[in-house]
Amino acid sequence: MMTLVDTDRLGTQEQRVIDAALRCIARWGIGKTTLDDVAREASCSRATIYRLFPGGKDALLAATTRLELARFFSGLARTFDEAADLEDLLVGGIIYASRSLAGHEALQFVLAYEPEVVLPKVAFRQADRVLTTVSAFAAPYLAPHVGADDAPRVAEWVARLVLTYTLCPADGVDVGDEESVRRLVRTYVLPGLVTAVR
Amino acid sequence: MSVDLTVRERILEAGYTCVARYGLAKTTVEDVARASGLSRATLYRYFPGGRDQLLGDVIAWETGRFFGRLAEAVAGAPDFPSLLEEALLFAHRAVEEHEVLQKVLQTEPERVLPQLTVEIERILVFIRRFLVPYLEREDLRPGVEPEEAADYVARMLLSFIGNQGRWDLTDPAQVAELVRTELLAGVLAGDR
Repeated sequence: MMTLVDTDRLGTQEQRVIDAALRCIARWGIGKTTLDDVAREASCSRATIYRLFPGGKDALLAATTRLELARFFSGLARTFDEAADLEDLLVGGIIYASRSLAGHEALQFVLAYEPEVVLPKVAFRQADRVLTTVSAFAAPYLAPHVGADDAPRVAEWVARLVLTYTLCPADGVDVGDEESVRRLVRTYVLPGLVTAVR
Repeated sequence: MSVDLTVRERILEAGYTCVARYGLAKTTVEDVARASGLSRATLYRYFPGGRDQLLGDVIAWETGRFFGRLAEAVAGAPDFPSLLEEALLFAHRAVEEHEVLQKVLQTEPERVLPQLTVEIERILVFIRRFLVPYLEREDLRPGVEPEEAADYVARMLLSFIGNQGRWDLTDPAQVAELVRTELLAGVLAGDR
């Protein structure tokens, strides 16, 4: 469903324009960002942007979303690869995802000032897309630990945790903090998995 | 029946009726005044912020009523796991069958979702307060506090009410399994 873009294959000029677009969105939002703004920020011409992204702003925004998702998932893969055991895999994944979302300036601007743009793509039934994408991606990493049958639901469970604590911060839980996440995982998640594996 | 309603509630109920009929974008203060049988001046006295405040409060009011109905529906459950099972079954069905919610989600998601997101914090507080007394009566795993566990369980409930994901929340057996594992495995002590 989601095609992972090979970030290396994207031309550097395309990446430069996309990064410029992200800086503009972080500053002014999606609605107010014009192709002129992006061209100025990327030090190129409008014609160049149209050549790279036929269709203009919509095409550029779609490419930006694709690239950001690809970056997110390749970082998540690196995090998973470094994990030594199930607990580290879950803790690392939650921290990486939470920090990526919280630290994404363009996303945070849009969530704060243009929620009507992003929420319809992720709420209620539309959340299926987010949950299935994340769980399809993470399940193979979880399967060796929890079994192939349970892996997708565990991935979905953890994705729910990231979303709830990111969208609505809790007093006692900081999903960007390792100690806090480790405690969350040990207290509420691992007991449910031990049960499931047996 | 409406004689028991406060003026504020009468306006909110009329606002809700208008949203059901015309949607969020097209409902005006004028419409709500007509539907409530009150003057525009009275409406502005109760909702000085006008249309935006009124519609925001209508959404908050109906959200409150929704979770009030949910709390009422599960209050008689024999034990805590059953209570959560009933809550998931009831709430999932209630969201699916909520005609006004489904209609605005379909036609005006960009208007209703930002408002509902604002409500999340309040809803979490409501569910948490509802759960704490039950958790205080349960035998909890070592190191688990009722307040903190209530927050965790409230978040999971809300997440599943919004989207069932891989689970079928119309199937009592699946709901029982979900409650036993993802909601309570870390919370309750003993032989599950």
